[in-house]
Amino acid sequence: MQTPSEIELSVSEFVALLNQTLEYAYPSVVITGELANLRVSKGKWLYFDLKDEQSTVKFFGTVYMLPGPLEDGMLVRVRGVPRLHNLYGFSVNVMSIQPAGEGSIRKAADLLAHKLEAEGLFDPARKRNLPYPPERIGLITSGQSAAYADFIKILNARWGGVVVQLIDVQVQGEVAPQQIVGAIEQFNELQETPDVLVLIRGGGSAEDLAAFSTEQVTRAVAASRVPTLVAIGHEVDISLAELAADQRASTPSNAAELLTPDKRHELALTKDYRRSLTQLMQTRLQSGKTELKHASLQLSQIVSGLLKHGRTHLSGQLQLLSALSPAAVLTRGYAIVRRDGKIVRSGLGLEPGAIVNVEVVDAELEATVTKLERKSSGKNK
Amino acid sequence: MAKTSKASYQAMANELNDILLELQAEDLDIDTAVKQYERGLELIKELETYLKSAENTVSKLKAKFSD
Repeated sequence: MQTPSEIELSVSEFVALLNQTLEYAYPSVVITGELANLRVSKGKWLYFDLKDEQSTVKFFGTVYMLPGPLEDGMLVRVRGVPRLHNLYGFSVNVMSIQPAGEGSIRKAADLLAHKLEAEGLFDPARKRNLPYPPERIGLITSGQSAAYADFIKILNARWGGVVVQLIDVQVQGEVAPQQIVGAIEQFNELQETPDVLVLIRGGGSAEDLAAFSTEQVTRAVAASRVPTLVAIGHEVDISLAELAADQRASTPSNAAELLTPDKRHELALTKDYRRSLTQLMQTRLQSGKTELKHASLQLSQIVSGLLKHGRTHLSGQLQLLSALSPAAVLTRGYAIVRRDGKIVRSGLGLEPGAIVNVEVVDAELEATVTKLERKSSGKNK
Repeated sequence: MAKTSKASYQAMANELNDILLELQAEDLDIDTAVKQYERGLELIKELETYLKSAENTVSKLKAKFSD
């Protein structure tokens, strides 16, 4: 019997009506439970169950919804749309999956870490040096967070002239991974890319920090063409994004410290530079003076050498000259005979009775030729 | 933003280091030494001005995902 409120439907109509009702009542649901019967079909389709002590529900989705590798037995939180399939029955169509609870989050991170490590994403050889100090920083964090305030405060205290561009993202919750990946990609696509990408978040529970250990964020960090510096949580928290980054900082403040020198220290250095510069210049001037002194000494040595040599030469000349002088000949006993002031070189023109002047070394005599005898070997014979 | 950019801070610091090295060379002639010394002092002054006056700027970039 059919009551007035009852309606008779075909199977397909019933499926459509039920889905319509479900969609109206539960546009989406979030269900937390233990993962079971997880399997992937054709590398694309994802099937699993969520269960608790009393119940089991089937889920269906694509592998792209996975935050990373998961295992049966892990506690996960799944957002999805409940649907009745016209052939396969009831399931929840998965929109997102996140590990839930400290144990599962850690386990999921471990599984993902192994997978990504095997792919070489954390390889130290991939790490690039960060520019020091950078001129432009692409900052990805929540603009309202203490992490942001700490980073800017330390940056301003240490260094100046940096252009910081912020993309404000949610750093926890379901949309966080997608927003962080979007921001990393956006910075990489800029015409003028920053010198470094800084991804930071303050401390929190494992669940709060989970976005930074998802596969998509870790891969985006590893794939960034702009070098990356990632600081998530406190010293003890290590996210996968940090492992994939070119450099890791222990905290957001530490990130600002690693990126920049301290201007107070640099100012002190400029004083040292000034001192070194002046010292070097003084040394150079001193050595210039020494060189000059040395050169002038050398010069005076050369000049005095030249003078000495000149004097020696001159005295030799003088000796020679004096040896050749007629006076010197006279001292050796020779005499010069002149007649009417002209030297008598030959007996020609002389006759007995001629008056001649005879010069000896220390006197001049007037003499009369009394006898003239010509030498037979004389050339004027 | 300060007139001097960060890149030129680094460039100035590098130039200063080069000058300090050059001044240690024994064969450097005195004219060049004096010129380099003066340039070094000038660089130090510029570096100090930068360190004392340069300020950071922070701007927010509209996220594409918020479109």
